[in-house]
Amino acid sequence: MNEKKVKIVKRDTPGALDLAKKTVFLDFIKGLSITLRYNLSRSITIRYPDEEKWIPYPRFRGAHTLNRDEEGRELCVACELCVKACPTNCITVVPMEDDTGKGIADRVAKVWEVDLARCFFCGYCEDACPTTAVRLGRDYELACFELDKARKTKEELLKPQSVPEDFEGGIIVQAKLQRTKSGIKVKPNLWKKKEKK
Amino acid sequence: MGDRETGVVTLKVNGKEITVREGTLILDAAREAGCHIPTFCYQATLSGVGSCRMCLVEIEGQRKLQPSCVTPVMSGMEVKTESESVISARQAMLEFLLSNHALDCPVCDKGGECELQNMVYTYGPRKGRYAEVKIRHHEKDYVLSPVIVKNSNRCVQCMRCVRVCGEVVGRGVLGAIGRGAHQEETSFLRSYLDCDHDGMCIEVCPVGCFMRRPYRYRARPWDLRGSRTVCPYCATGCRMTIEERDGEVVRSIAREGEGFNDKMLCARGRFGYDILNSGGEERLTTPLIKKNGMFEPVSWEKALSIIREQFTKADPRRLGGIASAALTNEELYLFQRLVREVLGSGNIDSTSRWDAATTGAFIFATGITGGGVSIYDCMEAETVFVVGGQVSEENPVTDYIIRYVSDSSRKSVLVASTRAMKLDTSAELSLRHLPGRLGALFNGLVLTLYEDNQERLEGIKEIGVLKGRTVTDLAAECGVSEADLRALCARLESSGSISMVVGTDLLRFREGISGLRLLGDALRALGKVLKILPVLDRCNQRGAWDMGVHPLFGPDYRKVERAGLGCDGMLDQAMDGAMDALYVVGEDVVNMYPDRTFAEEALSRVGFLVVQDVSLTDTARMAHLVLPGAYPGEKEGTFTNQEGRVQHISRLLEPPGQARVDLEIIEAVGSSIVHGFSDGTPQTVFDEIRREVSMYRDAAFSGGSPDGWLVKKSARRLEGFELIEEKKVSLDADPEHPYFLVTGNHIFLSGSLSRRSGILNELVREAVVEISEEAAGELGVIDGQTVSVSGRGFDATYSVRIRKGTPREVVFIAENFEDKAANRFYKRGDVVPRVKITA
Ligand code: SF4
Ligand code: SF4
Ligand code: SF4
Ligand code: SF4
Ligand code: SF4
Ligand code: FES
Repeated sequence: MNEKKVKIVKRDTPGALDLAKKTVFLDFIKGLSITLRYNLSRSITIRYPDEEKWIPYPRFRGAHTLNRDEEGRELCVACELCVKACPTNCITVVPMEDDTGKGIADRVAKVWEVDLARCFFCGYCEDACPTTAVRLGRDYELACFELDKARKTKEELLKPQSVPEDFEGGIIVQAKLQRTKSGIKVKPNLWKKKEKK
Repeated sequence: MGDRETGVVTLKVNGKEITVREGTLILDAAREAGCHIPTFCYQATLSGVGSCRMCLVEIEGQRKLQPSCVTPVMSGMEVKTESESVISARQAMLEFLLSNHALDCPVCDKGGECELQNMVYTYGPRKGRYAEVKIRHHEKDYVLSPVIVKNSNRCVQCMRCVRVCGEVVGRGVLGAIGRGAHQEETSFLRSYLDCDHDGMCIEVCPVGCFMRRPYRYRARPWDLRGSRTVCPYCATGCRMTIEERDGEVVRSIAREGEGFNDKMLCARGRFGYDILNSGGEERLTTPLIKKNGMFEPVSWEKALSIIREQFTKADPRRLGGIASAALTNEELYLFQRLVREVLGSGNIDSTSRWDAATTGAFIFATGITGGGVSIYDCMEAETVFVVGGQVSEENPVTDYIIRYVSDSSRKSVLVASTRAMKLDTSAELSLRHLPGRLGALFNGLVLTLYEDNQERLEGIKEIGVLKGRTVTDLAAECGVSEADLRALCARLESSGSISMVVGTDLLRFREGISGLRLLGDALRALGKVLKILPVLDRCNQRGAWDMGVHPLFGPDYRKVERAGLGCDGMLDQAMDGAMDALYVVGEDVVNMYPDRTFAEEALSRVGFLVVQDVSLTDTARMAHLVLPGAYPGEKEGTFTNQEGRVQHISRLLEPPGQARVDLEIIEAVGSSIVHGFSDGTPQTVFDEIRREVSMYRDAAFSGGSPDGWLVKKSARRLEGFELIEEKKVSLDADPEHPYFLVTGNHIFLSGSLSRRSGILNELVREAVVEISEEAAGELGVIDGQTVSVSGRGFDATYSVRIRKGTPREVVFIAENFEDKAANRFYKRGDVVPRVKITA
């Protein structure tokens, strides 16, 4: 059996000095001075979403994008391997024939959709893709008011990414908050880097 | 080695001892021993070429590895299928194949079910060492036919396509161009194919060289949901799986080991699946009632109450039902019960083309009541005699089986037909006779047999009818030279076992049936083992007869107390204004009855015509009430093919809108008149069939063998059809109309069902008349030219197709073109209409 050891702290009765401290709010002034000091020093939080935004590193796994080659042809050949690889079953691809040169082969996607509300950004789709058509980009503002807005279609995904593939990232840049009908977006200005000390 | 006498050989495979028949290939022996050997070029139904070297095995005592797919076993052999040298040889072969393979799997339609992918995945090296530029035969895939697209860059040179096209399909339009790595298997100069479009080349190609055009870039195999069914286009009854993606059927496919037909399907089976997608305006989705000559939608309740009212108030003798032989056994059985038990009428039929007494006699003569006969059993016979039909076109897969089995086992095939047919090239002897003269041909054969074996055939008293005839005049009557007739007879006489493959010409021309029976009796009396395989065109014709959808007999060929009327009789009665109500399910009487004008007139005089079908056929347009039914892919049940093989079909899709499965409709009609008529589930109706129809007593509804189940011998004898009168078909000269018109099914079409398939219609864009080379010469026309064909009551223009080997006076028009329907050339009672052709 363990004996219970209880430490009893005996408090002193308040002395005259304590009384004096209390009457001139000494502790309060001490605290306030810290606040004041920080108020005057440089801020350490990011002023997101109003003025600044963090641009992640390229390895970041955000919303999907579909890429094109240098000639602007769609890289996706609708092989459906991403669909097969996806653990959450959130990609739908329907192929079709198109030999107008729109894609790199005569097989292109008629439908390419991903349901971001189900996706858990594992990046398997990206690994499975034989043509590097699908990439998880660096967009992370995915909140939306309606669930079906989380379904991204081929047309949206084919638009250029807000952060290009070769952009280094890992920095904070100037940004602007935009309210649009489809939701809130924070538009970065990639070339206005905000240095942090 | 004492095995020699017994015909078996004992050998060791991977140390396991196994005894097999002499002449077995090492590959098959190993598979029997449970050792899997990978193969590319080997295909059980094709000749062995041993070209791919995937199947190499090590044989104790032999320095070099041997291809197991062409090496027969020998006694005492010790075979190793997984030794180090075998494994490394396989890897080397695969590396070698890949060194010149396009490797564009992400684009290739075969991806996910490709034999090369699977093989490399299982056995392959994970690295290639070849770094040179690969040979590319072409940059873009090219189209070989409306249904075939080709990419030669993926070829593994297994030659399966070339072999299947020659040995199974019998067209031989594919060949190998070039040698070595430059070899390409394709059509002559890669030109557009004029062939059977059956897609066998697609099915056997292990990689993505031959591909289905309608399925091009539609799906991956894992997207598809399939269901096992039976092809609805002819009574060969090929097993196939139809597969859908997002509610649309995208392909039908036959797989090895999943049915008696293995990978074999013809163009209709492989590409006619799109009828299931033909929704739109074509498809009936609600019951329709005719008001002031216009159709209006009506609810099911209303429709059923009208039917009840009309059917119950009619006199049973003035009532009748016609159900198509493309319905399931369950539907046909229930339909027959509805007409007989509920409506109290004996007027029932399953065809509008043939008359009832003739079909009865046909059933008797072909011994259908004697139980099922597998086509492979038929092919065991020494001689196969194909007669009375155009098997190659009407039942293409029956033709494939006859061809590949007979070619590989050197059977003697004999052919007698009115037109040239593809099977001629596999036949030892093939002769042409005049249309409607099968009786004379059979009698000529019997008489020749009789001359040689008088005393043995004395017992057959019907031979008496041939007294006074001579072989010479019978030969002249059927338009065959006497020498040919005697040669044919000699072949039959010299074989111990004979199979006759008998087509529907006997039904079409309503003659030759007594002759067939007499020939059968004579051959049996001579001690021949005789098997008869009827070759039918509607997918469940045999089932319809077994179920008793016939005016002269009931289920199980039970004699009916009072014979009813067949389609002919009902139309006659309607013509006299004495048909109060007629219930037609799935049969397009107007387009199929041999005299369209008469059929239209008769149907217009029916008091109340109910037509149940999937689309508004010409017959449905004449109805007072139209009920929307379902396609085979939308229902469950069983079909019985021409061999007597009962096969289960399962449901893939739901009928659209208000359309219902035919079984449910028949059940609802019955129940609206008699309470508790049936519960109408396929399973319970099938159980009832098993109780009522002795031939089906042990049949399994579903499950069971993938090959289906052959019906047993009926416990009853079919009575009343021993003797029928046959009118001699008149073939008198008519200088005005010098050609005999023969009709039948087109190779790409069957019944009116196939006309709703967009893909099949693409294969036959225009109505075609087939004429002989001689006639073409006389008329001065060439292939593809438009000519006008005029009969005594109808004329239309057709595109010419010249058929080498067809007799000069015979022309052929398929039954399947609605706008230029061949049945318009017929006047009632005509069997062989005469026509004139003008360029
Ligand atoms: S990231 Fe993962 S979960 Fe999301 S779509 Fe790709 S594979 Fe599916
Ligand atoms: S994104 Fe890549 S993996 Fe997905 S279908 Fe397109 S090519 Fe295939
Ligand atoms: S479709 Fe049939 S006939 Fe035509 S090339 Fe292929 S195998 Fe030969
Ligand atoms: S096309 Fe296909 S079936 Fe023909 S040889 Fe090449 S791989 Fe074999
Ligand atoms: S039409 Fe006849 S031969 Fe052709 S696939 Fe269908 S059942 Fe087989
Ligand atoms: S399978 Fe034996 S050599 Fe091809």
